[in-house]
Amino acid sequence: MSEIDLDRLGDLWRASPDPAELAQLRRSAEAVRRRARLGQVTDFLLAGIVSAIVIALIVSNPRLETAALGGAAILAMLIGTIRQRRLREAELRTLAGSTEQMLDQTVARLQATVKRARFNLLSAAPAILIGIAFGWALDRGTGSPLLTRFSASPLTSLLVGSTLILIGIASVIHFTRALRRARHELRHIARLRDDFQSETDRTTD
Amino acid sequence: MASATVDFETPPFERIVGEFGPLISRIAMTYEADPGLREDLVQHILLAVWQALPSFRGDASLKTFIARIAQNRSISYVARQVRQPPTAEIPEKLEADQNNPEEQAMQANEREVLISATRELPMPQRQVISLVLEGFTYPEIAEMLEIAPNALALRLSRAKTALKTILERTR
Repeated sequence: MSEIDLDRLGDLWRASPDPAELAQLRRSAEAVRRRARLGQVTDFLLAGIVSAIVIALIVSNPRLETAALGGAAILAMLIGTIRQRRLREAELRTLAGSTEQMLDQTVARLQATVKRARFNLLSAAPAILIGIAFGWALDRGTGSPLLTRFSASPLTSLLVGSTLILIGIASVIHFTRALRRARHELRHIARLRDDFQSETDRTTD
Repeated sequence: MASATVDFETPPFERIVGEFGPLISRIAMTYEADPGLREDLVQHILLAVWQALPSFRGDASLKTFIARIAQNRSISYVARQVRQPPTAEIPEKLEADQNNPEEQAMQANEREVLISATRELPMPQRQVISLVLEGFTYPEIAEMLEIAPNALALRLSRAKTALKTILERTR
């Protein structure tokens, strides 16, 4: 068996690309750049608008509680932004690193996603039950005009009850799907990481 | 290649797309056969390159940096697809050469077979073969994959054998 000629195959591989495909690539790049810049501007504008509203509220109502709550809101937003940025930077670092490192970190991230999805699913039923119990207790105990009006009309009670049940069912379906998808992705990525690992082991033994 | 048209007055990202667009496109083609999903993958790669560009410090060449991002993004994209990879082969479009259509058709067919054969390789071997076909030197590939040169030689040897078997089967 003769060896394959990688130089010749390389020339074939790098043969002149389709101009239409290149034009499409340029359009995609422009769209990506525009979307990414728009995302950055939107993030910046949103943060500015929220901060301005909070500051305006503090100025119009200069009390210690307002200042504390407003400060906490801005701080939470700032922490969220910094966390997002760090996550993105970490993801980019893994992309610019070796494939095995990238797969290891993706597996770790997906394991965390599976745990979170499982927790969401398991806590959905108790959360719904607690919500119903809380509503029932309010209904019985407070006698507030709004609740009294709700319970006085059978149609409204039925509507609110069915909406809550539907939201509960939809949440359970959503969390089940998210869990299944995360598990599936985890299996795929873990298998791929094992492939890379075994290839490395075979070549370093 | 598009590098001949690169204008250094254009902003860096546009210049990169002009110079390395075909490389990004070929890497995406190595991992995704479906044109619609490939377009999506290319956009993911371009976004990652755009975001990662400010962190480029010139430790390696820009081509290596982009190829690494494109390879890793493609692998994670394909691996995270919930569907199974398509089994039907989708012909790749090539530039039509009006002067010599017969030769061009043969070359197109040969390239199509090569791309399809490469897609049949296991992911670690596919990665190394595609980088060799892209024209990266062995030290560059070893650095990119963070493996020793002898380990690369062994992996490449296995990949070549597998590719040869697939190519012979398809002929």
